[in-house]
Amino acid sequence: MYQSIENTTFMIAIVLYIASAVLSLLSVTGIVKKGGKVATSLALAGFIIHTAAMVARTIGAGRLPFSNQYEFALSFSWGIVLSYLVLYRLYGFSAIGAFVMPLAILVMGYASLQSKDVRPLMPALQSYWLTFHVGTAILSYGAFALAAGISVIYLIDERKKDSQRLVQDPEVSDMLSYRVIAFGILMLTIVIISGAIWAQKAWSRYWAWDPKETWSLITWIIYAIYLHLRLRRNWKGRAAAWFSIFGFISVLFTFVGVNILLPSLHSYAT
Amino acid sequence: MKKALSLIASLKVAIALLLLITIYIIIGTLIPQHATEALYQANYPTLAPLIDVLSLDAAYSSPLFITLVILFIINLTSCTLLSLPSQLRRSRSTYMPSFNAESEYRVEEQDEKLLRAYLRRKHYRIIADEDGFSSGKFRWGALGATVTHIGLIVIFIGAIVGNIASDQDMISLLPGSTREFEEYGFSINLDDFYLTFEESGAVKQYISDLTITNDDGTIRRQSMWVNNPLHHNGLGFYQANFGWTSNLLIRQAETGEELVSGLVRNGNTYFYQPHHLNIMLYGYFPNMEIDVNQMPYSINNKEDNPFYAVVLTQFGVNVGSYIIEPGQVIPYEDIAITFTGSTPYTGIVVRSDPSYPIVVAGFIILTFGMFMSFYLYPRFIFYKDGHLYAVSGKNGWVYYQAIKAGIKAQRKTGKQ
Repeated sequence: MYQSIENTTFMIAIVLYIASAVLSLLSVTGIVKKGGKVATSLALAGFIIHTAAMVARTIGAGRLPFSNQYEFALSFSWGIVLSYLVLYRLYGFSAIGAFVMPLAILVMGYASLQSKDVRPLMPALQSYWLTFHVGTAILSYGAFALAAGISVIYLIDERKKDSQRLVQDPEVSDMLSYRVIAFGILMLTIVIISGAIWAQKAWSRYWAWDPKETWSLITWIIYAIYLHLRLRRNWKGRAAAWFSIFGFISVLFTFVGVNILLPSLHSYAT
Repeated sequence: MKKALSLIASLKVAIALLLLITIYIIIGTLIPQHATEALYQANYPTLAPLIDVLSLDAAYSSPLFITLVILFIINLTSCTLLSLPSQLRRSRSTYMPSFNAESEYRVEEQDEKLLRAYLRRKHYRIIADEDGFSSGKFRWGALGATVTHIGLIVIFIGAIVGNIASDQDMISLLPGSTREFEEYGFSINLDDFYLTFEESGAVKQYISDLTITNDDGTIRRQSMWVNNPLHHNGLGFYQANFGWTSNLLIRQAETGEELVSGLVRNGNTYFYQPHHLNIMLYGYFPNMEIDVNQMPYSINNKEDNPFYAVVLTQFGVNVGSYIIEPGQVIPYEDIAITFTGSTPYTGIVVRSDPSYPIVVAGFIILTFGMFMSFYLYPRFIFYKDGHLYAVSGKNGWVYYQAIKAGIKAQRKTGKQ
């Protein structure tokens, strides 16, 4: 029963997200006037239904949906939409949805290609660290996706006149992208640290240069370079925006690429 | 000297080193580590000499990588030390940044009384001056970057200590067997080792019941499983793997007299000297199936359908291959060969690593430092000529938004 609820709510959430993204895109391109608020409402409705899908999965599996590629993609896209909605609540920028919702849809699409079978946790995953480690990864990855979306807005806005801009002051999108990345890297730090502590308990070593942990470190270094250039060299604007997008590509590679291309201790995450 | 020091501590050098380290570790993830030379020759014929020269086959312990990391530690440490005096100065409780009305965010709020009430509620210390007042908070947040860097340095120190002082061994124990750790003053006995299963037949957990006997005679009993290691007298015991040991029995065919009784692991061979016979246990399959190539395999580790695959050779010549049940006899000349049953043995990693507490301390300092940098950053208020300015360096806009929202809320409550 829970599987059927999960499948239905998953599909409804995708449909609502697509509607939100399309309306948001039509709104930012000026085809539909003042569609931003409706688009955000659709995203919120989709988010509630998406949450229901995760609850159904949680009840059906008897644990949080954090343990394989489908479950993580389900949670990752949830984290992306959550980040967007929180930012909208704080600052009211609905245009961001046009660039963030497609990322959420993309990750949901990836989830739909994965096996949805509920499998019991293998011994190494039977730990309370799983919740903490993956939970913070969802927040971190969601934040980086949001930052990449805001950076795209910056790159579009900087070429436009004031009246045509998606966010009136490009400096604001530049600043927001930085603040969201700051949150993302703090969460990523906790992801890496909790993973290291967990690895110490499970495999006797806190660091083993496993491809997944190594690529998480690479992503961390990329964003650390971004922050240093920004805070110490006042590196802003276009270069910072491209760096933020580049950082998110590293996030995606850590999430998908490593699983497909590199054999890893994290091979259960398939 | 001063120039050299500032170059060593410079951000340019830090970024260059971080980029080099990143490129190096990316290469390390793409090239298989600790493989044989033949594999590199076969898979990367043109790159093989470079892999050899740069030790890319053991990328993370290669001299080049270690040099890069050491240079980065030097850069990080010198940068932290050089910037500390200015950060300490900015973290003093009396510090106020220079103020330029043109370049700061201005909050359109004229009601000084309301502003003062809001700032008092938020625990700002207000200092009156000729044009109005000023105030500051979280000045010590200026030390966030230093604390973050110290956290990283502590982690690096921990990693170095770990590389020098950690020691690791792998032991296999059968139920009932004991291992001495004389240097650490105790012995460990495996009372039992067993697997628990999910409904699907997949292994749920590997559990070792252990008894530790200290040299002073005191005894400690504890079970250990994956994610639940055992620590004793500075040694950590970690459930790592398991395997099967099978009981080989050779009898005189006619009389039934027991000639040999011993344990054989999968893939191992017992040499029966009187007949120059090699008895190889190709594998024990606790729940056997036959695949499309007619080869045996085990669906899982539940002993629901156990079989042994055995290969006999004599003077290098195959004299028979068999798939037999436990207790089933392989007749060979005047002897009868059987496998009577199997017992799982546990593989335990034994590790001493004095670096772990250091690294954990580094983790905590690093996380706290980052939290300070991003959320407890110094923030200042200037009230000049009837205008309020929110000043917070790189976080100015976010702080300005927070102050605007806070004052709006204060006005709603009407508290002054």
